[in-house]
Amino acid sequence: MPDNFRLEEMGEMAGADIPAGPLYTLNCTVNGRALSLEVPPGRRLLSILREDLELTGTKRSCEIGRCGACMVLVDGRPVNACLTMAYQCGGAEITTIEGLGEAGLHPVQRAFLEEGGFQCGYCTPGMVISVVGLLRENPSPAQEDIEEALSGNICRCTGYGGIMRAVNKAIESGVSP
Amino acid sequence: MGALQDEPLFSPALRQPRSLREAWELKSACAEQAVYVSGGTLLRTQWEAGTAAVPQVLIDLRNIAGMEDVTRDDDYLTIGSLVTLTACRRSGALASAGPAAAEAARQIAAPAVRNLATLGGNIASGYGDILPALLVHDAELAVYDGNLLRVQPVEAWLERRWSGAIPPAELVAGVRLPLDQGSGGSRLAVFRKVGRREAFTASLVTIAVTADWDAAARTLRRVRLAAGGGSGRPQRLAAAEALLEGAELSRSLLGAVYEAVEHGFASYDDPFAGEQYKKKTAGNLIVSELWQTLELKARS
Ligand SMILES: Cc1cc2nc3c(=O)[nH]c(=O)nc-3n(C[C@H](O)[C@H](O)[C@H](O)COP(=O)(O)OP(=O)(O)OC[C@H]3O[C@@H](n4cnc5c(N)ncnc54)[C@H](O)[C@@H]3O)c2cc1C
Repeated sequence: MPDNFRLEEMGEMAGADIPAGPLYTLNCTVNGRALSLEVPPGRRLLSILREDLELTGTKRSCEIGRCGACMVLVDGRPVNACLTMAYQCGGAEITTIEGLGEAGLHPVQRAFLEEGGFQCGYCTPGMVISVVGLLRENPSPAQEDIEEALSGNICRCTGYGGIMRAVNKAIESGVSP
Repeated sequence: MGALQDEPLFSPALRQPRSLREAWELKSACAEQAVYVSGGTLLRTQWEAGTAAVPQVLIDLRNIAGMEDVTRDDDYLTIGSLVTLTACRRSGALASAGPAAAEAARQIAAPAVRNLATLGGNIASGYGDILPALLVHDAELAVYDGNLLRVQPVEAWLERRWSGAIPPAELVAGVRLPLDQGSGGSRLAVFRKVGRREAFTASLVTIAVTADWDAAARTLRRVRLAAGGGSGRPQRLAAAEALLEGAELSRSLLGAVYEAVEHGFASYDDPFAGEQYKKKTAGNLIVSELWQTLELKARS
């Protein structure tokens, strides 16, 4: 039996022509604004955000939940937008990276800037979202809590030193998201 | 990678039953055109990988009442199938009734995946990493067959699952773990996972151990050993358990236990690790945990 959650074993595209099912009315809020969208129930939250709502701060990368670039908050908790289907967001409050910085930079964003917690920046929105989700639940996390909270966010260029400094700075500044 | 994206390729219809009976009837009527979906995290990866066909109907189980509850009575801790792995990882009740299972939940995927992924989905896959831990806690599953909720040991359910004997519409409704009756000694409970990187990795090998340690007699009793990993069958390691049960723990006994695990654990070759590597890893993990008991607990 193949190992079904390995990036390396990703094969061909699944599913041939499948007749479209009826649309689903997705009522939710995105960055505080109420929305009602008619979408296929299985449409990914990632596509709804990037393509339908043009909120492209949520990044598309591995598309199988492994890299964390598409992280958003659903009811305050980090989830991978590539794994989440439209019907799973009914009634939810969704926060994207755009929603964090609406009133100027969010303190976690500022900490990433000041501590050089990024290089190419592609993983940064997802990292920031995961840190905001962590500090919301635990404003004074231990190192192992931080490592666990960021274990699903992969950075392939700057390394994790600057990211850890940024998280620690955000903790010191007493962020209360 | 050609990612499976959205419509027109991916447009199944959605059904949201409110009871086990309704879900079972839907699945029975649609057969292989429909799948049960809990968190959908495993299914999405299977669809993307092309290892499972995209169904025409998604049967969303999340509206079924009672499957999100964690309850405790005098004898059992019962956890509904829809309880997320995040909730399992944080549950004080699970940490006390099933510490190896709580540790397994901590080591599955990453927090964001665990916020969606459910205990029931992990079990129903037949190879989720929580299963070896459930085996050593003598856990039982409540399964719904269209008429009745029946309770059966995880081991018996795995036997049915891996021999293809489970009807496609059967549902996993929940898990129950016996509350420890206490033995006078201290209870050992361990879950270990080895993958290709340290964190957030698919498992190559998992092991779980529970036993009562009698420090005075230097013996283990009520010994349960299990191993699994990847998409292999989670299994009890009966021969190694029998060697340990009631015998005085010594270095030479550990040598024999290593050999029994290596010999008894049936796994499979994958592109990254051969079966022999997995057998050795399972043996080393189990024996190193027992060695720690011998060296550390015996001194304290
Ligand atoms: C990035 C990533 C990393 C992962 N890492 C791990 C890991 O380390 N270890 C691990 O074990 N898994 C891992 N997984 C796989 C998966 O997330 C877990 O196994 C998870 O617990 C599955 O739960 P789910 O609710 O999402 O299941 P779903 O995807 O909803 O369902 C899984 C299967 O079970 C069936 N099913 C679901 N609920 C029921 C039910 N109540 N009764 C009967 N059948 C049911 C479905 O039809 C499907 O066949 C990973 C997945 C991803 C995306």
